[in-house]
Amino acid sequence: MTAIELDGVRKEFGDVAALRGVDMTVEDGEVFGFLGPNGAGKTTTIDILLDFVRPSSGTATVLGMDAQADSRAIRERTGVLPEGFDIYDRLTGRQHIEFVAEAKDADPDADALLDRVGLDHEDATRKAGGYSKGMKQRLVLAMALIGDPDLLILDEPSTGLDPNGARRMREIVREERERGATVFFSSHILGQVEAVCDRVAILQDGEVVAIDDIDGLREAAEAGTTLTVELASPVDDLEDAVGGVAGVESVAVDGSTVTVGCAEDAKMDVLSAIEDAGGTVENFETEAASLDDLFAAYTEGES
Amino acid sequence: MSDDGASGSDGGGTGRSGSSGGGMGEDIQRVDAALREQFSWYVVAKKEFKDTVRSKLLWLLSAIFVIVFALPAFLGLYFGLGQIAQQQGATLTTDAFFGSAARLGSALIPLVAIVVGYASIVGERKSGSLKVLLSLPFSRGDVVVGKVIGRSAVVAIPILIGFLVSVAVLLPANVALNAVGFVLAALLTALLGVVFVSLAVGISAAARTGRRAIVGTVGIYVYFFLFWNSFANSIGGLLGEYLNVTAGTAATTSLFVKLVNPTQSYQTLVDAALGNSALTARATMFQGLRIAGICEQALGGNVSMSQGAGISCQSTGAGVPFYFSNVAVLVYFLLWIVVPVALGYRLFDGADL
Repeated sequence: MTAIELDGVRKEFGDVAALRGVDMTVEDGEVFGFLGPNGAGKTTTIDILLDFVRPSSGTATVLGMDAQADSRAIRERTGVLPEGFDIYDRLTGRQHIEFVAEAKDADPDADALLDRVGLDHEDATRKAGGYSKGMKQRLVLAMALIGDPDLLILDEPSTGLDPNGARRMREIVREERERGATVFFSSHILGQVEAVCDRVAILQDGEVVAIDDIDGLREAAEAGTTLTVELASPVDDLEDAVGGVAGVESVAVDGSTVTVGCAEDAKMDVLSAIEDAGGTVENFETEAASLDDLFAAYTEGES
Repeated sequence: MSDDGASGSDGGGTGRSGSSGGGMGEDIQRVDAALREQFSWYVVAKKEFKDTVRSKLLWLLSAIFVIVFALPAFLGLYFGLGQIAQQQGATLTTDAFFGSAARLGSALIPLVAIVVGYASIVGERKSGSLKVLLSLPFSRGDVVVGKVIGRSAVVAIPILIGFLVSVAVLLPANVALNAVGFVLAALLTALLGVVFVSLAVGISAAARTGRRAIVGTVGIYVYFFLFWNSFANSIGGLLGEYLNVTAGTAATTSLFVKLVNPTQSYQTLVDAALGNSALTARATMFQGLRIAGICEQALGGNVSMSQGAGISCQSTGAGVPFYFSNVAVLVYFLLWIVVPVALGYRLFDGADL
């Protein structure tokens, strides 16, 4: 079964297109990272999954149910850490947990929950109005975990967390997957996603520009290797000779310097093609693109 | 949960044995669980109510209504009216007090209800706590209904406390209690609170910004109090002048328009609850000469004046037209609970949050 399925989802706010046809499938039991810069449409997508916002066209299915028609049933089995949330100032941390427990008809062990998210028991008896951003984040994460949901939707979960809190967050995500839950979480920071996600989608300008597992993305990143070759002297017609090699995407010749964008495993073929064309390789260096470069390339305009 | 059940379950071994305290705690828990099972809005309503109790607003409102309802009774009774009545050997009834309390209440209660209700939904929408609330398995309808019920309780309970205290002040004196009138007036006054909470929550659900919710609710309040009456008074005359309608139609329209205003339908219902006939209660919504016009043209009655009872509108045998009967007016009054909530819900349900 699929946990989340988006099919041609578009959303316009007035004449601004926030989502331009998002297709995406999240499988049951996986940890799915939803990456993209701020403003790419991540929160709008999540808002559609939770029926906070209705798509202009296309369909969204969550846990096999229609995101609009069956929203309540979906939210019974889903734990959510929304973006831009606030909590109830006059309720204590524990009262928040009790409220969610009543709403979800669950009977959670509040102490264990507080320990899991790292919220001090003393703090949990205080009114939440005085909480820091990080404490609020921890509390709402604890609320999301109540009732062992089948699906966790976490929108920018590391916001306001210190490194310790962020690590704890990753641990919780792993634990929840081991329990059998699907975790869908969004972030604009690759590092948070890379460490725990099985698969990743990259959203840019309201469109999914890449969707793959981390290894696949890494391979795609490595495909972006740049090979810089210094020749003893300039050689004519190198562009054609090198451009014909399988795996080469770009060639630039500047005097005796040749810059080739190619797949990692095409390097040796490129070097021998240069020699075959009469060039003498004095020196060369390769620079493999990192996942960061790839993400940057995807999200900061065309590479 | 442990909040409510603390006395029942935390008692541990001793509480289990069936002492009356433990038994009641368990009963409350059972009722609580049954309500939760039955009504999906219940958890929202309960949170709203408890939240207000926590904010001390409930106690502040109770104090206000005790002062407004009981203090005039107390002062009037022990420093003036009561002595005069006793000297004359007449029986003073509670009706007079509740009548004046109702008049005071009809101005104050809508304002209190607006303050309690106007931010209920738009405030959460703006702060972002609505995202947490709607992440839970509540429909938007549950949120609206839960807010209306929870905040209605916040207004209605202090009103009822105010009435109870005022009766406690009146009873030791030599004042005859009109129990039915008391109960009806108290319930109608509480309902007036519910009407304006519903109106305010309905507007709060529909509004996109807090400012619009304030303007909307206060605007309606001002309209009901300042403009609606003169509009109702003048519409009959305008109809007669420009559309040549009969005097009967003009009077009927005037009365009907006036009754659509919930503060007016409330007052005429209280008048009826305190012993006036439906005809008199309707006709005396107007003043001076217009009373006769409304009584004869709209209600089909005869005006009579007596020294003791003042102006009344007597039936000529046909009784009050059904659309001006107490039941009909109660329906118009209660529509103010249903319609704004339904409209507000429709807009809220269709909106992107």
